[in-house]
Amino acid sequence: MEIFLENILNLVGFIVGMVIGIISYIGFRNTGSPTLFRLTLAFFSIGAGFFIMWFGQTLDIVVYQTGHVERWVQTLGIAVQTVGYFFIAFSHTIKSFFPKSNYLRSVGMVPLFLISFISIENIIRSISFILLAYGAIETLMSYFASRRKTAILVACGLWALAFGEFLGWYYFVFPQSILNVVSISMKISGLIMLFVPVTKVPLTKIKFDENI
Amino acid sequence: MQIIGDILLTTRDNTPDEQGASITYLIRKANISHGRISKILNNLVAQGLLEQSNSSGACKYKISHVGREFLQAYNTFNKFADGYGLTI
Repeated sequence: MEIFLENILNLVGFIVGMVIGIISYIGFRNTGSPTLFRLTLAFFSIGAGFFIMWFGQTLDIVVYQTGHVERWVQTLGIAVQTVGYFFIAFSHTIKSFFPKSNYLRSVGMVPLFLISFISIENIIRSISFILLAYGAIETLMSYFASRRKTAILVACGLWALAFGEFLGWYYFVFPQSILNVVSISMKISGLIMLFVPVTKVPLTKIKFDENI
Repeated sequence: MQIIGDILLTTRDNTPDEQGASITYLIRKANISHGRISKILNNLVAQGLLEQSNSSGACKYKISHVGREFLQAYNTFNKFADGYGLTI
């Protein structure tokens, strides 16, 4: 049951990510805006991350039938999604995310070679949570400035995704609980809320780039 | 990006006469320096977004057809980005 629900989440995530990514890319091609370029990278990464997890699960359901997805596939999918969350947060002007010193950068890479995939997944989930929470706060601040209703929906969507990540992370502590189902449901509702601004774009009025 | 949007919007909706808007008028509307607006206007003319004409010894700027299309796309995607709490 859980694997099917997770499969639906990943498919929804893939579709939502790709649609928002394509709209952002059309916007970037038409206006040359760097913000839209970052949004394109963000949502393509999020879509690709969900696709990797969906593909891994579908392969397991249809071919291998082991009932669980390979840990490295899960970790890779979450890592690619985190890149997307980073670009969302970066669009809200994170000025210096990585340490400037080369020494700190090299030391920062060391744990990746010393710890297991489960630990890496935990670390990535916590990074995702921080980035999503940051994006949600900044979007909420933008709502107070612009009073645009879609901004508050996006902020709620990012909060739902952040809370979903948090619960998914907590699920490692209580593996037999319903936390995973709640986490997946939160993420699906978060993705749907992120999709709302796309429904406001009058697609018929957009001059599509001929190369797309 | 916002300055470009403001300049195009002014040349579309707020031109003082048929020939277009003068550089002084655009400086007042966009609230930027002469040096900066000159570079932007040259760029916009080169890109085909604005049409330049000489009227009684002064340069005047009018929005072109491509400029109107760009402005429409700019407004659409500005609202889209605004939905995510961002400005383009």
